[in-house]
Amino acid sequence: MRLLNKTITAYFIFSAILLLIAIPVFYLALKKLMVQNVDEQLVTTKTLIIPQLTNNIMNHRETNMVYSGYEIHYEKKQGDNGTDSIYTNESTGPDPDHFSLNRILVSHFYINQEFYNLHITTSLVDKYALVKRIIWIIVFLLIVLLLGLLILNRVLTKRIWQPFYNTLSRLKNYRVDRQSVLKLEQSPVNEFDDLNHALETLTASSHQAYQGQKEFIENASHELQTPLAVFQSKLELLMQTKPLNEEQASLIADLAGASKRMSRLNKDLILLTKIDNDQFLEKESLSVKEILEKLIRQYEFQIKNRSIRFSFLDEQDIRVEANRTLIETMLSNLLSNAIRHNLPNGFIKITLFEKELTIQNSGRASSLDTQKLFRRFQKDSHDTESIGLGLEIVNKICTLYHYSIQYQFSNQMHIFSVKF
Amino acid sequence: MKILIVEDEKELCKSMVAYLKTENYHCDVANSFKEAMEKTESFDYDCILLDISLPDGNGLQVLKELKANRRTDGVIIISALDAMSDRIAGLNLGADDYLAKPFHLPELAARIASVIRRRRFDGNSTITLNELNIDTNAKIVTANGKPVDLTRTEYDLLLYLVTNKNRVVSKNAIAERISGDEAEVFNNFDVIYAHMKNLKKKLSGAGSTDYIKAVYGMGYKFEI
Repeated sequence: MRLLNKTITAYFIFSAILLLIAIPVFYLALKKLMVQNVDEQLVTTKTLIIPQLTNNIMNHRETNMVYSGYEIHYEKKQGDNGTDSIYTNESTGPDPDHFSLNRILVSHFYINQEFYNLHITTSLVDKYALVKRIIWIIVFLLIVLLLGLLILNRVLTKRIWQPFYNTLSRLKNYRVDRQSVLKLEQSPVNEFDDLNHALETLTASSHQAYQGQKEFIENASHELQTPLAVFQSKLELLMQTKPLNEEQASLIADLAGASKRMSRLNKDLILLTKIDNDQFLEKESLSVKEILEKLIRQYEFQIKNRSIRFSFLDEQDIRVEANRTLIETMLSNLLSNAIRHNLPNGFIKITLFEKELTIQNSGRASSLDTQKLFRRFQKDSHDTESIGLGLEIVNKICTLYHYSIQYQFSNQMHIFSVKF
Repeated sequence: MKILIVEDEKELCKSMVAYLKTENYHCDVANSFKEAMEKTESFDYDCILLDISLPDGNGLQVLKELKANRRTDGVIIISALDAMSDRIAGLNLGADDYLAKPFHLPELAARIASVIRRRRFDGNSTITLNELNIDTNAKIVTANGKPVDLTRTEYDLLLYLVTNKNRVVSKNAIAERISGDEAEVFNNFDVIYAHMKNLKKKLSGAGSTDYIKAVYGMGYKFEI
């Protein structure tokens, strides 16, 4: 959930609850006040009407009457003197639409030793309708007020948090290997300014650390070249010494093997550093199919030697605009992995189709660790030929040219696919 | 044959001199740019091994001077692996070949021999070793006058061993020679074994002595 929505949702829920509770309470309160008011008026009317009624009765005029909206009704009655009472009478006439709601005051009075029963009736329908209208107006006003507040709040928070979102999007696009420091603009809000400063310091120091590490690898691999060359040449001179017995010869052969591995490792590190430093600028139009065919010819012996069944479906050639050395290295690494990690009498299937190269091969019966696959020095520990930089190089080259590389294990097949 | 080695790393110089000495090359050594300029100004060489990165200057400058003076000395550029631009610059300036460090000494000897053969003006391009005769122009091998039918790889292999005759050539050096970059990827010693077996069979089939000896799993040697 976004920050903006989070605060607004809280406001919204509070407002809704407030509305739901407040409106009925308000309605009931208003109704009660209204009835109280009516009752007071009934009592006032009664005090005003009784002298007039007395006069009427004395002069034998009309018995019942309407007095400014009040229906007055009285009759002679036997019995004792009761107390005044007020009640609400709800009645439906013969027509169900003709609904009447009345407030009636019952009272008594004496004239000439005679006892009269008095009913003063007033209709509540109009008054209740008024209450309803008032409620509707208030509901409308409240809703407008709340909506207005919500919108205002949203607009305001959006504006206030804008620098934060700017920072966030810049941070998302930050690459420690490309930019030295994340430059962020000044913000009027102190907290955001602090955040921006902290991020600038953080990115600057990470870039520095990254740069330091890169330079270390660069220098180390560069400086290693000379001692490696010396070591190898001395070893080859040692081979020429006489007399040389079998034991010494086998020790020298082992050393030569180790020396070769060191040179290869160094060569791969240099290659990685050069990719990191964007030193492969020359580009040309290349046919993936042609390069693969050349590599397959080169590895023919290895493929035959391991009795690997090989198929190459080149339905659609892929042409890429890239550096030849890099594309050759990438394809060579993928293909040689498929050969090296294969089983005797296994198979390799290469497909070129719709800008996608797929290399499937048999191999060990479990998936490789996809988390670590493309990282440095992640290798099959029991394989002495592998030095663990092959897939990292492949990954780097793919990243450089924005190709996507994927690995999956299905039907006992290891599948690498590169989308160009 | 006179060779000039321009290289600032003294130990590597010593190795090169020690290896090339046995081939009857006379080696001069220059450890700095200044020395290299002095030596090339005073003497003619059949082949100059030129390291690009020297402490007091760029080796390419030596090459430029040579070419400006219309000198015909063969030049092999030797440089660090990570200096691809040096390689291109060197070859553009007219160097004959290029070798990246670390290299195998037999490879160096083979490159030197090849440069010298190409620059030889007497037209003699054959190598004769007893009954064996290798015509490096036509790439034809004969034993006792009879042609031996070799594949390209077998021919390369034979020539490689012959240019390093009487010295052990390591399996790694051979692997790199016959399969180039592929040697980086596989320890293809079985490929070497297969080719070597065929080569020996063809040579002995043509009546040649078995000169090629395996040396304790270390490598091979053409012994004469």
